[in-house]
Amino acid sequence: MNSIIIVQMAVSGAMMGLVYALIAYGFQLTFSTSKSINFGQGELVMLSAFFSLTLLNWGVPYWLMVPGGLLFGVILGLAVERAGVRLALEQKSEGWILLTIIIGLLGFSAAENIWGRDDRPFPTPISSDALHFFGISITPLEISVAVGVFAVMGLIELFKRKTLLGKAFEAVSADRDAAELMGISATRTVMLSYGLSGMVAAMAGILVSPITTVGPTMASALILKAFSVAVVAGLESGFGVVIVGIFLGALESLTSFYLGSGWREAPGLILLILALAVRPNGIFGKASIRKV
Amino acid sequence: MLKRLLLIRGAEIVAFTLLATIPLVVSNSYVLGLLTLLAIYGILLIGLDVTVGYLGQVNLAHAAFLGLGAYGAGLSVSLLGFGMLSALAVSMLIGLVLGGLLAFPALRLEGPQFALATLSFMALSATVLNEWESLTFGAQGLTVSRPALFAHAVNAQGFYWLCLIFLALVWMAMRNLLSSQWGRAFEALRDSPIATDAMGIGTYRHKVIGFALGSALGSLAGGLYAFNFQYLQPLSFTYELMVILLLGVVLGGRKSLWGAFFGASLVALLPNLLSNRLLFEIISAVGLLAALFAGIRGLIKKTTRPFQAIAPIIALGMLVVGGILVKNTEDWRKGIFALMLFSVVVGLPEGLMGFAARFLTRLFRIDPPALPPAAALDTVLPAKVQDIGPLLQLEGLKRYFGGVKAVDGVSITVQAGQIHGLIGPNGSGKSTAVNVISGLYAPTTGKMMLHGKALPMGLFNVARAGVSRTFQNLQLFSELSAMDNVMVALKGVYRTPLPLVLLGLAKGEEKRAQADALALLELVGLRPHARISAKDLTYGDQRFLEIARALARKPELLILDEPAAGLALPDVNKLVEIIRRIHQRGITIILIEHHMDVVSELCDVVTVLDGGKVIAEGSAEEVKRDPKVIEAYLGTTNETAAMTVVK
Repeated sequence: MNSIIIVQMAVSGAMMGLVYALIAYGFQLTFSTSKSINFGQGELVMLSAFFSLTLLNWGVPYWLMVPGGLLFGVILGLAVERAGVRLALEQKSEGWILLTIIIGLLGFSAAENIWGRDDRPFPTPISSDALHFFGISITPLEISVAVGVFAVMGLIELFKRKTLLGKAFEAVSADRDAAELMGISATRTVMLSYGLSGMVAAMAGILVSPITTVGPTMASALILKAFSVAVVAGLESGFGVVIVGIFLGALESLTSFYLGSGWREAPGLILLILALAVRPNGIFGKASIRKV
Repeated sequence: MLKRLLLIRGAEIVAFTLLATIPLVVSNSYVLGLLTLLAIYGILLIGLDVTVGYLGQVNLAHAAFLGLGAYGAGLSVSLLGFGMLSALAVSMLIGLVLGGLLAFPALRLEGPQFALATLSFMALSATVLNEWESLTFGAQGLTVSRPALFAHAVNAQGFYWLCLIFLALVWMAMRNLLSSQWGRAFEALRDSPIATDAMGIGTYRHKVIGFALGSALGSLAGGLYAFNFQYLQPLSFTYELMVILLLGVVLGGRKSLWGAFFGASLVALLPNLLSNRLLFEIISAVGLLAALFAGIRGLIKKTTRPFQAIAPIIALGMLVVGGILVKNTEDWRKGIFALMLFSVVVGLPEGLMGFAARFLTRLFRIDPPALPPAAALDTVLPAKVQDIGPLLQLEGLKRYFGGVKAVDGVSITVQAGQIHGLIGPNGSGKSTAVNVISGLYAPTTGKMMLHGKALPMGLFNVARAGVSRTFQNLQLFSELSAMDNVMVALKGVYRTPLPLVLLGLAKGEEKRAQADALALLELVGLRPHARISAKDLTYGDQRFLEIARALARKPELLILDEPAAGLALPDVNKLVEIIRRIHQRGITIILIEHHMDVVSELCDVVTVLDGGKVIAEGSAEEVKRDPKVIEAYLGTTNETAAMTVVK
């Protein structure tokens, strides 16, 4: 009996872990082109979720709301790039860390005042009645999270490999200067990566909201774990985030079961600090060679 | 000199006297509370400035150290019955130990990774304070009683003076520290970690100690915070406070004690600023006008980028318009902080104090302190007796990168007292060989011996063993002056232990270091530019500064990695002259160079590399005639060889 509970906890946790993996994937997108990430990414998740909820409240059908929400995420991502990242990249400074934190805070404050501080339910047509497999229950809602995560990541990877624009993206990731010399605009590619990253954040918001409800603080815990996943897997590790995401989701679900729900953030944070200490490039990342 | 001392020390004394006497004149508990908070935040921000300003890292853990220090002090009073000073010592120790522990994993990290590590630490400590309810009472909060100081009860006024005394002590100690070798090393670390190790300064201990000291100040402020408010809650020490603290440091001005002080006053006054509508309107309008004025001026003079001029105007415009439209400014607190911080980071990156310092220096015509006369070169770089025999021996040295054999079995013997040239076409493995010798890369296989003993591993240890180098792509400490670049690398001058440095007892060795550095600058012709920061020197002078800095290590073996690259002809001639003078002092030199005339003029022996292997060795004239060398540089020497290659 006990082992069934453990497996059950692990499976439900793993489903949440996929959401961490999706957000972490968004970090990878921008890191690969510009060596920068949006520290306010959690606010993008939250703002997109609120916007999607508003669309639903206006009577927009669910399946039309999804592209609307994703578009909103793209716009936010582009805004962050313009206001917070581009100047710092031009100056080759790390000012973007502080600036993206600041922009996130502004977004947080705006959400608090526009949509209020309370958590709200997020309606979805997908059922949350449990299905049972071998004594383990899993809801269609949880399955939809997994499907959504893999769909978005798969589509973006296809885009990167099969389209000209996507190849430009890969070129800038591989060598920014060489790509510029070949006539690829690095600035535009960085914009593209931030747009895609914003879209990924919006997708995460739409997928996770029916489970967690929507509120200004919905993403503050989520984002820390996405950071952990990105760093533990490696910021340049590709699909490594999925494995680490599933592992971390299961681990924290078990932690909160055994130690109490207040401690559920702890494993992610400890893993992150340990990973940075032992393997700063991540489990799946390659060690970079210092050049002088 | 006297004027400088009078103005700068005078301002400090006046400020502290004023602060100390205010409670005697104004007996208002509200004002007293604000002043106490100002002193506490002052200590806190001076600590944060060590990591944010000097080490140049975005540190998000400082609010957590404030909290940990506060809980440490509070619990040591309530559980252990400690007195005021011992409780404060406990809180300081907490910051020192935990800060040091956090710095160890964060040690290898830069920029975003460092920020993430500190962010996780903040979240983790909030979790612990919240969940360890048996100790901290979790979200209920912890009530702290203010303990006695030497068996005397301390009232609010007395406590304020105590905080002020702590601020003054911290102020003096940090001024001493940051104007010593330690402060320079922190800044060197920020500008180029690789060069910091290659110059034997050591990233390791400076990063750990810098972070631990900054965190200790944070948690000391936490102890005072606990005894001031006498009630603690885990939620007070999280993200929002962190952003406010960063706002304080950045707005006040980084790398400045006064900046931290102004930042602290701002942080202490912020709540009032938001609750008083009129004051808020006035300040945001003044900010907008300043941004408009500075932005338009910058755009016309083309000194600022359009974004830097326009973005702060938009942000402050939003603040002004929002101030009129919004019902309750308190609700928008976070947004207001964000807009203010955004405008400052983008529009005034040097902060108020950086701006004011430039202005005041011009207004009062404060000259920088006079420099001591340069030391005699013979005392700085004593001419060595030429010992004969091999100094550096490489045997079968290999370094592969994946499948690329950058260095593939190189054996070279460098004789003491010689100038040994290392040449070869691009991609022949010269730079990789130098990077392996200097410890940047570990060799894949092979032996390296200095004086017949194995060369230690790692940049730092190689530098300490007496091998010094310059970098093909300049690795200067760009924000430091030319003199500081040399001073920070000086070997064998700094002996004062850290506690005595904090007490200000390192002034003598500081003067000596200046004199030595000036002698080395004179050797490379940079003495007149001693006060200019490295990034503002001409390209040629930057190359010479790298040489002077490498000489500050007083090396036995000096490796010059393409020192003439990109130099104009007059500078090349000057370089040849400088290398000759260095050689006369008995220093062995490995010279990597593409200019054949420089090589022929200077080198006793030349080794030619191609494809990671040694293809020739001999005098410059010999290798120039060697068919294999000609082939490597110009392609094959005769047609039949070309034909066989094609087949």
